[in-house]
Amino acid sequence: MTDLLANLGLGFSIALSLQNLALCFLGCLVGTLIGVLPGVGPIATIAMLLPITFGLDPVGALIMLAGIYYGAQYGGSTTAILVNIPGEATSVITTLDGHQMARQGRAGIALGTAAIASFFAGTVATLLIAALGAPLTKLALVFGPAEYFALMVMGLVFAVVLARGSILKAVAMILVGILFASVGTDLETGQERMTFGLAFLADGVDFSVLAMGLFGIAEILRNLDHTETRDVVRQQIGRLLPGRADIKQATPSVLRGTVIGSTLGILPGNGAVLGPFASYAIEKRIAKDPSRFGNGAIEGVAGPESANNAGAQTSFIPLLTLGIPPNAVMALMVGAMTIHGIVPGPGVMTKNPNLFWGMIASMWLGNLMLLIINLPLVGLWVRLLKVPYRLMFPAILMFCSIGIYSINSVPTDVMFIAFFGIVGYALIKLGFEPAPLLLGFVLGRLMEEYLRRALTLSRGDPIVFLERPVAAGLLLLTAVVLAAALLPSLRKSRDEVFTEA
Amino acid sequence: MSHSYPARRSVLLGSIAAATLAAAGRPVRAQGGYPTRPITLVIPFAAGGSTDVVGRLVAQKMSDELGQQVIVENVVGAGGNVGAARIAKADPDGYSILMGTVATHALNPLMLKRKPYDPIADFAPVSLLAVIPNVLVVNPKLPVKDVKELIALLKAEPGKYNYASSGLGTPLHLSGELFKSMAGVSMQHIPYRGSGPALNDVVAGQVPIQFDNLPSASEFIKSGGLRGLAVTTKERASSFPDIPTIAEAGLPGYETYTWNALFAPPKTPPAVIERLNAAARKAMADPNLIERMKAFSATVVSSTPEALGEHVKAEMAKWAPVVKEAGVTTE
Repeated sequence: MTDLLANLGLGFSIALSLQNLALCFLGCLVGTLIGVLPGVGPIATIAMLLPITFGLDPVGALIMLAGIYYGAQYGGSTTAILVNIPGEATSVITTLDGHQMARQGRAGIALGTAAIASFFAGTVATLLIAALGAPLTKLALVFGPAEYFALMVMGLVFAVVLARGSILKAVAMILVGILFASVGTDLETGQERMTFGLAFLADGVDFSVLAMGLFGIAEILRNLDHTETRDVVRQQIGRLLPGRADIKQATPSVLRGTVIGSTLGILPGNGAVLGPFASYAIEKRIAKDPSRFGNGAIEGVAGPESANNAGAQTSFIPLLTLGIPPNAVMALMVGAMTIHGIVPGPGVMTKNPNLFWGMIASMWLGNLMLLIINLPLVGLWVRLLKVPYRLMFPAILMFCSIGIYSINSVPTDVMFIAFFGIVGYALIKLGFEPAPLLLGFVLGRLMEEYLRRALTLSRGDPIVFLERPVAAGLLLLTAVVLAAALLPSLRKSRDEVFTEA
Repeated sequence: MSHSYPARRSVLLGSIAAATLAAAGRPVRAQGGYPTRPITLVIPFAAGGSTDVVGRLVAQKMSDELGQQVIVENVVGAGGNVGAARIAKADPDGYSILMGTVATHALNPLMLKRKPYDPIADFAPVSLLAVIPNVLVVNPKLPVKDVKELIALLKAEPGKYNYASSGLGTPLHLSGELFKSMAGVSMQHIPYRGSGPALNDVVAGQVPIQFDNLPSASEFIKSGGLRGLAVTTKERASSFPDIPTIAEAGLPGYETYTWNALFAPPKTPPAVIERLNAAARKAMADPNLIERMKAFSATVVSSTPEALGEHVKAEMAKWAPVVKEAGVTTE
């Protein structure tokens, strides 16, 4: 405990330097801005800003980049509540009840609840990183290929169970995602799959290209489809601080959301995305009156918002303790660390304590700043969202193109975001959710990799998945959840949960 | 009111652009002749890897020498082939150059069924830049203290053990294959997507043995997470003087390493090559750069263009039988 305090003390002494405070603030501000603007995500932004950080010292650079990432989670909720457009994938679920609250004239309360829930979750997650960093370095090492495979299967099954709308469409989307993931050179044999002899497909489909196309470009197309009906809340924002009754209603949801989000955030394969979905499903299931959900239930904002922020924070754990990026943003962070001569891995904590603890302290400070930036600036964000779309979308489109080109410097990537934009638009028009596709894409690639690795290690014997207790446990849990989801009675209630949404 | 916000946004854009320019701004002292404008250095691997780190350090020093900015562009894809192919087809004016490696200029061309370029005919060599040792590491729980014990263990239980590498057909995979063939042992290769995930599984004990770049494994060796059995170079690495070489530890003649070198498009005028070579050699003699490379476990080397040309041929000749024996082909 004294160690922890001493370490946090060290962290704050670094994070509180004038330069680092300024960088943290800048990161949070840019993050909120891009979170608010639909179609510009933290991946593209961090990729675009990476070269600028070369001149900074590594601690400052990473503090700023981290600020962009969790700042975007805050900003994403603002758009979700006010415009019914999730600024980030993790705030999709906030649109359900947050936007309804806004339409009922409680936009301020929804924004306030989201900000406070996020701040609380961020604080808890920061403490969690500080406390669990060292032991988790060891725990995560227990996970071998068999366990990771089981984890991925579980992730995909949860994605089906938690998907909105038709279960068949969700399964279809996940399978398409897995198919996309299998394009490219096979890791084990070096043979090309589904590349049609096209050189630019040899490395497969890039995650950020797919994500930017499916979410960014498709969103722009969809908005252009019916610009005038863009649903910016015209009512008064109203007061921001939730009242006593609201707080009482939201507190248990915040606590549950924080636990769910923190846990899922640690998992590899973008577990942070699952947090808000899981939290919402649980809140709705245990609510006395589930019908309130989708009609402006404050728990439906508080739970998922705390879950997404907690997840955004705890996804730093695999990065900082193992040097393994759980998602694309963290992968960019690995790049930033290496550029600055820091070798990511368990050594960072002991060899660069300034970086490790400085970043952790800055995360808490950043969350505090975000609370302060967000609440008074809500008015500004609202006005920003009222900027006519014809002025906004060319800028977003340009940012997307520059951002995607700057990652690999390959022109086909830019063409690909246009292609996936059209695919995404078609999917939306046909009533398919693009989110399960992306999840299938991310988890599918890892799942195949781990499956084959586990089988190579066991020399082809599938019993390995049942011999290892953690893997077997995860698979059993998955089977139970899947069975439950397919039971007719539960299926009916699940449909009710999501069709109202 | 709403019209004022685009203006605000453009202020932000402007300041980002200004910051970029400020970072790039350097006094220009070109005096006639080549180079009169910035030079693009294509690094065919992602930002953050060892080739990228070496490339950026060199680019910075060469900018000072040439009086023109050397701009790094990471052109990523197909194990380095996309970036290399781009330079093979670029204008031979000296404004587009490549950071080649053992992968782009020896291993990939040997493995590919469909060859996007010829590593000898399609490039004008400029200079060798750096040599990065590879290292044979094992999980500390594996009951072997040195290379001899490892070979004995592998011989005692053939086919039981696995080794990890950063991917199929990488210099590290082939270092492992060369080790297998020279020691007459068998191990199952487990490919990963890059060193990081492979290291994780070896530290965790999922896979007991790994061939890795010394820079990426060094933290684990220092912290005791991995046991460094031997480096793959002819001489010991200056950053780890206690770790023997594989050649001295039991396999005389064994030598592999990752190298980085500068290449220009074919038919680049000799005067331009000369200028680039001089700048590269001067950059590589800079004490500050040597120090930073050493901290990164890389050794600074430089060469004449002719020597690099010979080096590529020698590397192709050395790896061809290993690639053939390992049976690795990619499309």
